Amino acid sequence: MVLASIELDLDVFSGPFDLLLTLVLREEVDLLELSLADVVLAYLDHLETRGELDLEAATEFVLLIAALLELKSRLMLAGEGEDDLAELEPLEAAEELLARMLDARRYRAAAAHLAQMLAREDGVRFREAPLPLALRRTVIPPADGSADPASLGEAMGRLLAAPPQISLEHVAVRIVPVAERLAHLRELLRRGSFSFDEAVAGADRMTVAVTLFALLELYKRGEVDWTQEQTFGEISITAPAAANDPAPARAEAAAG
Amino acid sequence: MSVGENGASPAHEEGALARAVEALLFLSTDPLSAAELADATESSETQVREALERLAERYAPAVSGIRLRELGGGFTFATDPESEPAARRLFSRTRLQTLTPAQAETLAIVGYLQPVSRPEIARIRGVSADSATATLLDRDLIEEAGQSQFGAVLYRTTTRFLKLFGLRSLEELPDIVQWDPTPEEEAQLRERLLAAGDARAASG
Repeated sequence: MVLASIELDLDVFSGPFDLLLTLVLREEVDLLELSLADVVLAYLDHLETRGELDLEAATEFVLLIAALLELKSRLMLAGEGEDDLAELEPLEAAEELLARMLDARRYRAAAAHLAQMLAREDGVRFREAPLPLALRRTVIPPADGSADPASLGEAMGRLLAAPPQISLEHVAVRIVPVAERLAHLRELLRRGSFSFDEAVAGADRMTVAVTLFALLELYKRGEVDWTQEQTFGEISITAPAAANDPAPARAEAAAG
Repeated sequence: MSVGENGASPAHEEGALARAVEALLFLSTDPLSAAELADATESSETQVREALERLAERYAPAVSGIRLRELGGGFTFATDPESEPAARRLFSRTRLQTLTPAQAETLAIVGYLQPVSRPEIARIRGVSADSATATLLDRDLIEEAGQSQFGAVLYRTTTRFLKLFGLRSLEELPDIVQWDPTPEEEAQLRERLLAAGDARAASG
């Protein structure tokens, strides 16, 4: 077992790889504090010094590191969305919990009732025939001569032949240049404040995305201020308070 | 549909209509509504209902091994439970017999709250509903019904659910309010909950 003997020297742990695994599983080393990237780097160093790739060991390493990554990502996301009770005040949390328990109780009782209903219908069967061929959406008639070995061979030959290359020349990739959207936004800005919806009225998704990108750029350069009152609400865009500052010109010069 | 409004047309002579309706019910795997039957037989719903009544006599218990049932928003043939032992010997595949508590709870939640998403089911049950939902989908008791505004798949019950549980429609599900705990039970639960909270606070 080559993999087990890799010596690691990390912030939170130094020693052989297999010991690290054991400690992580026993929760004696906190996975959250362990930099898995460092483990990977150490492994790559190890590979380099050995000069050859043991496929078996490499596969095992990838598997183990993937498992650790999954474990760690779960730890990092723990509780999010799953249980928001922790954020509530104790009394509120108790009320919320009570409401949930009552709800659960209600549906458990309903479930028992459903089970009774099912039991009452015990022994009742229905026709469960498939839809007749004529009513199905696709009708697939048996292929002619499909039992003939030669036709099978021929079919296989057709499958093995490379299909002709499909020309994609006619597919135009729509390009929305950021510069164009920047110009558009500046034009709007010159007329005063506006909303993001106005800026992208009637535009396709690509344009909307690029416009937002352009807006971020303008914000970075200090050419705009923007506010959004609530999530998914309207984004209103205004010139920054110090509008007389010749920032746009300077930024343009810098960009050029 | 305008033909034979008064039942005079020979094709819609009472017995003939009942026979046509019988044939359609025999062919269909899904319950057929009176409107669908009326459409197909080019007669009125009233006539179809009369024909169904005639059929019900013919498919009465102790007369026939088949029953005419009104289930899942329409009419359908079902077997008399009397024949179940024989059916079980003939077919290896048994009908849906029991549900695990988790499946029953999940089904109850979908039944009452549909369309409802899996996270919502899990929130009410307090535990994950993934496996129960998968089984119910597999057994064709629930089906997908679009997506919530947050992109979670929504579920609703199927016609098969109504059929298997002997329901004409979802309205026949008993009012959920009847399982509301009594004020005393609620107070008791609240007390226990607060006591548990205090105990934890004291120890922590």
